Amino acid sequence: MTKLSRRTVLRGLGATVALPFLDAMYPVFAAQAVKTALRPTRMAFLYVPNGIVMEDWTPAGGLGATPLVELPRISSALAPYRHDVMMLTGLTSNGGRALGDGAGDHGRAGAAYLTGVHPKKTSGKDIQAGISMDQIAAQHLEGKTKFASLELGCEEGIQGGNCDNGYSCAYSNSLAWRSPTSPMPPEVRPRAVFERLFGVVDDEPDPKRRQRLQSYQRSVLDVVLGDAQSLKSTLGGTDRQKVDEYLFAIRDIEKRIQQAERNHVPQMKAPMEAPSSSVPTDFTEHSRLMLDLLTLAFQTDQTRIVTVLMGIEQSPRNYPEIGITEGHHGLTHHQGDKAKIEKVRLINEYHIKQFTYLLDKLTAIKDGDGTLLDNSMIVYGSALADGNAHQHDNLPTVLAGRAGGRLKPGRHIRYANETPIANLYLSMLDRMGVPVDRLGDSSGRLEGLSDV
Amino acid sequence: MTIGLLPRGGLARRKLPGALVAAAALAGAYVVTLSGQITAPPTAAVTAASTDEFKQQVLPILSETCMTCHNGQEYAGQLNFEPFLQARADLRGSDLWSKVLEKLVTGEMPPATMGPLPAEQTAAMIGWIERTYGLSARTYDPATADPGRVTARRLNRVEYNNTIRDLLGVTLKPADEFPVDDSGYGFDNIGDVLTISPMLMEKYMRAARTVSKAAVFGEAYPSKPTLLIKLQPKKDQDDLPASGNVLPFSIRGALYGTYHFPVDGEYEFRWRYVNLRGGEVVVSNDTPAGRAGGAARPGRGAGAPSAPQPVPNAAAGAAAAVPAPTAGAVAPAGRGRISGPRPGPTADEQKARDERARRAVGPELMVFTLDGQKIYDFAVEGNNDYDYSRGESIARVKLTAGDHALRISWPGLADIEDATSQYGRDGRRKLYVDYLDIHGPFTPSKQPPAGFEKIFVCGAPGKYSDACARQIVEHLALRAYRRPPTSQELQRLLTIVRNVRKLDSFEEAIRVAIEAVLMSPNFLFRAEQDQPVTADAAASTPYRISDYELASRLSYFLWSSMPDDALFLAAKAGRLHEKAVLAAETSRMLGDPRAASLVDNFGEQWLNLRLMDRKKPDTLKFRAVDDELLDAMRTETRMFLTAIIRENRSVLDLIDGKFTFANGPLARYYGIPGVQGEDFRRVALDGQQRSGLVTQASILSISSYATRTSPVLRGKWVLDNLLGAGPPPPPDGIPALVTKDLGTAASMRQRLEQHRADPTCGACHNQMDPIGFSLENYDAAGAWRLKDGNFDIDSSGTLPNGQQINGASGLKVTLRRLSGAFAGHFADRLMTYALGRGLERSDRPALQQVTRDLAAGDYTFSSLVTAIVNSRPFQMRSRATIP
Repeated sequence: MTKLSRRTVLRGLGATVALPFLDAMYPVFAAQAVKTALRPTRMAFLYVPNGIVMEDWTPAGGLGATPLVELPRISSALAPYRHDVMMLTGLTSNGGRALGDGAGDHGRAGAAYLTGVHPKKTSGKDIQAGISMDQIAAQHLEGKTKFASLELGCEEGIQGGNCDNGYSCAYSNSLAWRSPTSPMPPEVRPRAVFERLFGVVDDEPDPKRRQRLQSYQRSVLDVVLGDAQSLKSTLGGTDRQKVDEYLFAIRDIEKRIQQAERNHVPQMKAPMEAPSSSVPTDFTEHSRLMLDLLTLAFQTDQTRIVTVLMGIEQSPRNYPEIGITEGHHGLTHHQGDKAKIEKVRLINEYHIKQFTYLLDKLTAIKDGDGTLLDNSMIVYGSALADGNAHQHDNLPTVLAGRAGGRLKPGRHIRYANETPIANLYLSMLDRMGVPVDRLGDSSGRLEGLSDV
Repeated sequence: MTIGLLPRGGLARRKLPGALVAAAALAGAYVVTLSGQITAPPTAAVTAASTDEFKQQVLPILSETCMTCHNGQEYAGQLNFEPFLQARADLRGSDLWSKVLEKLVTGEMPPATMGPLPAEQTAAMIGWIERTYGLSARTYDPATADPGRVTARRLNRVEYNNTIRDLLGVTLKPADEFPVDDSGYGFDNIGDVLTISPMLMEKYMRAARTVSKAAVFGEAYPSKPTLLIKLQPKKDQDDLPASGNVLPFSIRGALYGTYHFPVDGEYEFRWRYVNLRGGEVVVSNDTPAGRAGGAARPGRGAGAPSAPQPVPNAAAGAAAAVPAPTAGAVAPAGRGRISGPRPGPTADEQKARDERARRAVGPELMVFTLDGQKIYDFAVEGNNDYDYSRGESIARVKLTAGDHALRISWPGLADIEDATSQYGRDGRRKLYVDYLDIHGPFTPSKQPPAGFEKIFVCGAPGKYSDACARQIVEHLALRAYRRPPTSQELQRLLTIVRNVRKLDSFEEAIRVAIEAVLMSPNFLFRAEQDQPVTADAAASTPYRISDYELASRLSYFLWSSMPDDALFLAAKAGRLHEKAVLAAETSRMLGDPRAASLVDNFGEQWLNLRLMDRKKPDTLKFRAVDDELLDAMRTETRMFLTAIIRENRSVLDLIDGKFTFANGPLARYYGIPGVQGEDFRRVALDGQQRSGLVTQASILSISSYATRTSPVLRGKWVLDNLLGAGPPPPPDGIPALVTKDLGTAASMRQRLEQHRADPTCGACHNQMDPIGFSLENYDAAGAWRLKDGNFDIDSSGTLPNGQQINGASGLKVTLRRLSGAFAGHFADRLMTYALGRGLERSDRPALQQVTRDLAAGDYTFSSLVTAIVNSRPFQMRSRATIP
């Protein structure tokens, strides 16, 4: 079949992009040659805070793999997807533990989760975590898609005040870390995500004028790059680091503009209506809009890597949507109070319903010979198991999707306790085509993920 | 900081091997160090020689002078030197000795009552400490201590919004859509954690485009008058509208909020008020047939509209009433009724019934205000058919571009006793505003936007010379970069202007230059020029920052915004750092309206008030606590802080100042008589139930759980935020509280007593709990109470030192006695905020100097600000190695 450029397709179809894409459109960005490898593998993380009531989460099964049949109460929401998900038990995020640094389990948990490191205890100075696994993949795959990665959130970061016992709020406000000192805060506004993907709703309508504005923008970027270089040469210490951060962000935008010009990719028309510019207060509405946008980003291959911070660690959010008027974090420190534990369960169940909503969306979209889910790896989990005890091992972890046939779902796999969760990340990175030897405290790869 | 609340035996659980109790107390087991961390005693190079020297030179001084108070009985400052005498303690752990050094150098010890040590004794002790622990007395001398280096600060969201307002006259708030700024040390203006991600950079790009357009050509607005927004209040406290522009829930039916108007012009407000009745079903009989309307029946329904009100100028004189046909005189009722035969009473019967209903209760005056000024009012009368649910009220107002506060309400309802059961005096009407539509702009102004003159400082439209272009760009860059631009920076911008001019207008060329300026790191960061480490100047040789940099430090500290012209002038003249000039500028700035940012940013973050955005009392338990009352609580605290700043009061008034601010609903909530209406006013207090921060409902509710109070949380809040003496966090792997079966009959007090019985828990809870208990007369939403469920409130407690605290007034007496600690902590917080970095050990001398100046200045707020502004860390910077 002749390769069609995306523009040809767009022209042929007029204003709307027909979704899913035609097979012949691949590879637009990718350069793989083998037909079977053409379907890109996508990867996403959905993070829920404050742990899960584990006795109602973990399915039966000893060490090794067990078919996923009976699911306890909280994870029973996954029943319709029994054959599409793997539940993993025994994984640990050791970096979240105190290791001599005292209290601050929530602050550490969030920052340790995808980085595999023990974040430095500080309220601000010399902040230090590690590069998160999604950003390792993003840096490796950069240029293949419009966005190397997207960071989404359903709860705004804590503003001011103190976060967790001597840990800066930076540690819990972001999941993704581009470098050990640069967190990538998530976008919580659906409208803003929409506009990143499909262009600004009220942009300049006149194409000539738009083009002129674009040329001005290039001059503007030249000016500020010049300014940044001059400034950097006069600064020392941490100031320099800040200007480097600035330069990285400017260059990232520059590259994206150049890439769009090189590939003659016009702004894609949106297959959905622009969401309201206000952030929905209803959690279902908010999270589902975000997950719709995640699905669209995958479907239109604008990115292959997404992290979703469903809630931040120590989230005080209440959920009147399900009749819970007390704050989530406070409830998880239930100290055995049965009524409180039940409320935590309800929140856990409510959260996982949003995950299955995403699975619904991903399975409804055809991608190659299978569905979008078949070509994805979606992790749903938390960096705490029991929130009451701040337990950093035996983390609740679901791995959904088949990574294009390189995962064998439908099972519950129990690993020896204290297996670093970073081992899972190495296995996932392999399947993203990003071979990495070590990540944080990893000790190898997870076995048995694709066993037949 | 030791405050005398500290328990004696509490250190055991940390099991510091071999370390003396006293040393541990100073090392920070209970005393959180300046960096907020618990420092474990480091191993020091203690040799046999230094030990000998200690025994011969130092120990005699300790024994003779210091142990007068620092002994096993008095235990002053939680410090006991006796173990050294008995050779039970070892000398490892420099933290104790660095403290001793500091106290000696600053003259804090021995205390004045003891008289100073002989000079040779001081020298001997200082010499021994310096040699043994590698410390330097210079470190503790405010005149020589390291002033530190603040990391280049990216403008945070508030600063960005304020800066573009002052730079370009643009009142849009684009930064509200930026991601939340990460905070550190309790504040969101800390350079170290203000990062830039590619996503934020995209937002900067968009904002630069939007803002530059607004500055030069005005904000975008629809070419024809159109519906700009539909505002709706939440329908109940837990209402979760999926989307839309949702305003707070008001039990009294008010609609209030702020809206940004894009251009000077007339705007039309259309709102509908409806009511709840019969099982709280919303009446909104807004059928198409009803809208189409039959013959209107004048004089029916809500009665004849009140005479059109003379509409006063709104928005500080900028807006004026518009004699439009619809303005003022509005007939909200009647026009939705279809005439014609229908079953039921005859016309006369109906008329009589309506009349009875109308007379049954008095009319309730509905008032629409803009920025607090009345625009329109209308007496809503008893109405059998609730006809008003079918029509809209309309008012047209001339407004300036920018934010305006809107409010539609029935002010009379502010004074009803119990809003939950009788909102609407007849218990039946329960009026509320359903929505407010804003249409416009009508006859938008063709004048250039407000900031145009700030930018185009020379020339005239169509007549701009090259020299003028240069002048405009130079003026812009100086103010945006807060210092004169370098010739290189200037050239880059001028090149852009030249290039754009080839294709576009002069104005557009300047607009693009503004876009570049707003994207430049020189605008986005407040970077201070580094002076390099050289052969002659080591890193420890600090230098004075430039006057321009000082101007920015001042303006972002006091205004969260850029310097104004007066500051720039003083900087240009190179005189700002002169003591008299600096003092005059500081005092001028504190009197400026922009100083309100000290409340918005410093105050709200210090007290953790922003937590009110996401943490609310349980709605089922506290039915009377609606969003409007929560807003009133927050307003009270904000106005209280404002009064301390504006009236230059003693900061100790924060503890127990006998005044506050309340409106009718809040005063009634507090049981304060004589305050009527919706407007806030100053109220004198007797201090019995209320006075000072700790008894304000805002603070009482954020330091509670949603459903109940927590003496622990409240005790911790007081220690953390008022005394800076927060207990250490719970130990690792804290065991779940094993509650022996006390049954449901046990009170909170009994449960916590059981908790404290465990020595591991008691160590800290003995401190926190008594403070919390003293506030038990206030429920989780801050209301006064005498019972908790079935239990009588017992608001007494005993501190670890045996001191009794009885009730909130007792707590305030205790806090007053600890006013030194309170003032020291308040100074620490304001200084952290002012410097934009965490305070280091090397900042201690400066902090102590500031605290002393505060005390010497009768604790007035301005004396604290002046002391901070005059401190070395605020005016100086240490050098860096520049690669």
